[in-house]
Amino acid sequence: MAPEVPLDRLQRWMQKVVVHPGRVGEAVAAAARSLRPARLDDVILPSRTLTAAQRLSIYQNMYPLRMEDALEADYPALKRFLGDEAFGRLVRDYVAAFPSRSYTLNRLGDQLPEFVRTTAALRHRGFCHDLARLELAMTEVYDEVETPPLSPEAVAAVPPERWATLRLRPIAALRLLAVRHPVNAYFDSIRRRRARPPRPRREAGWLVVFRRDYGVRRLELSRPAYGLLSDVAAGQPLGEAVTAAVRRKGRGAPGEAQLYRWFRQWMGSGLFMGLEGLEPSANRL
Amino acid sequence: MNPWNLPDLGIGVGLRTVHFNHILERRPDVDWFEVLSENFMDTGGRALWVLDRVVERYPVALHGVSLSIGGTDPLDREYLRKLKALAARTRAHWVSDHLCWTGVAGRNVHDLLPMPYNEEALRHTVGRVRQVSEVLERPLVLENPSSYVEFATSTMSEWDFLSRLAVEADCGLLLDVNNVYVSSFNHGFDPRVYIDAVPADRVVQYHVAGHTNKGTHILDTHSDHAVKEVWELYRRSCRRTGNVATLYEWDDAIPDFDVVLAEARKARAYREAPAAPARRVARGA
Repeated sequence: MAPEVPLDRLQRWMQKVVVHPGRVGEAVAAAARSLRPARLDDVILPSRTLTAAQRLSIYQNMYPLRMEDALEADYPALKRFLGDEAFGRLVRDYVAAFPSRSYTLNRLGDQLPEFVRTTAALRHRGFCHDLARLELAMTEVYDEVETPPLSPEAVAAVPPERWATLRLRPIAALRLLAVRHPVNAYFDSIRRRRARPPRPRREAGWLVVFRRDYGVRRLELSRPAYGLLSDVAAGQPLGEAVTAAVRRKGRGAPGEAQLYRWFRQWMGSGLFMGLEGLEPSANRL
Repeated sequence: MNPWNLPDLGIGVGLRTVHFNHILERRPDVDWFEVLSENFMDTGGRALWVLDRVVERYPVALHGVSLSIGGTDPLDREYLRKLKALAARTRAHWVSDHLCWTGVAGRNVHDLLPMPYNEEALRHTVGRVRQVSEVLERPLVLENPSSYVEFATSTMSEWDFLSRLAVEADCGLLLDVNNVYVSSFNHGFDPRVYIDAVPADRVVQYHVAGHTNKGTHILDTHSDHAVKEVWELYRRSCRRTGNVATLYEWDDAIPDFDVVLAEARKARAYREAPAAPARRVARGA
């Protein structure tokens, strides 16, 4: 009579087999210790057409495909850049290091940019890292909670002398990125199916990824604009942030007209949801 | 009628991202939508906005894949809290998941892994179903899975296990007639025996779907039209249960909405002729 295998031990054993990256025979052998004294045939019955191992391999074969599907949904441009084989290898290694511990696959790829950064064997690693950071930012922004942007009426109601001490609160669906490669242009070229995407050369860039009307948008920024927007989004009073931006730029400091254009663009894009430092009534407008 | 008076919602289809625009713009004549719980639990973006528009016009039921009711890890209380909140937000008529486990030791393999059918597993699952029903403050509805392995440690058939579970845990059943067919092929039993054994008054919903026959086994792929044998099982079961909410599942290689809806509407030809004029079901529970 076959030895009884308690439910908990059975599940731990089967999971080891299912997530094993090798062939099913290797997977069964690797997991055998957690099954002892039972053997495979004591636990899984053969069918009319398949052995016990072949039946198990159905689950084992589906696991990497499911993981790859989930990560491809979040990182389509990275997959395109690496190609099917290299992306498949990356997924296999990644899920071995960072298996899903959540009820949702939406968060499976959260550590992928960092994993890419530390994967020495990856071709054009720096470019891949920046591309993965961009795609993760887009995924996060897509799913963030909806926070209605400041209305034009609320902005118009602020007395001019109060702006310097005010803080602007950014919408939740906003991420700022400084990159060292032209990954935004690469992403565009993939989305627009251009024949020749840009080469993975070094080229610094700055951008804000945000959501407007439930659509994910990307806006490229100059370096000074990125610095100013980062300070404002981090909660610096506007006066201090603007002063810092002017000093950072030195002789080419943004003038009044430039600052006005930036803020008008950011307000128009709905990047801010609130004003801090005003009487409550002004925020309610 | 089932013990909880859960209504016959008619013929529905799954709410899928690729159909969002069609549903919002065309407002198709479909009786109800089934909503994949995990797709909406952690997003504040467009998907949730679309769901809110859908529930304004159509009844919905929630269907999950991550409850892991047969798993040996503790129940995920955070998941249950979010599930309950989503059910309230959508005024879901019921909440369903699968008789399976999805991972162990803190890990999630995101597959519907099969249970051994024995007394230990039954006691374990009954206890967890009762806990979940208590948290959700409504009866849980469980779906019979497709499976590719049979455990030597099983001491009863799947239909006996499911029938006892439904009664002892006081839960509803989502009878997937395609899954019955798939498992009958893979394990070599008569699917009519299964259909005839399920407690008819516990069935609150049907699933019908297509599959992929690989010759040696059948995969539950939800990627095609249902075969005639599956529809005949549906007809056989409807004779026992009367008309029960029915949903057509199409999750892979998803065609245009109208193709899915046309396949779903085939169910009308196999259902019982209504004894009285069709009831109007209130939008929302």
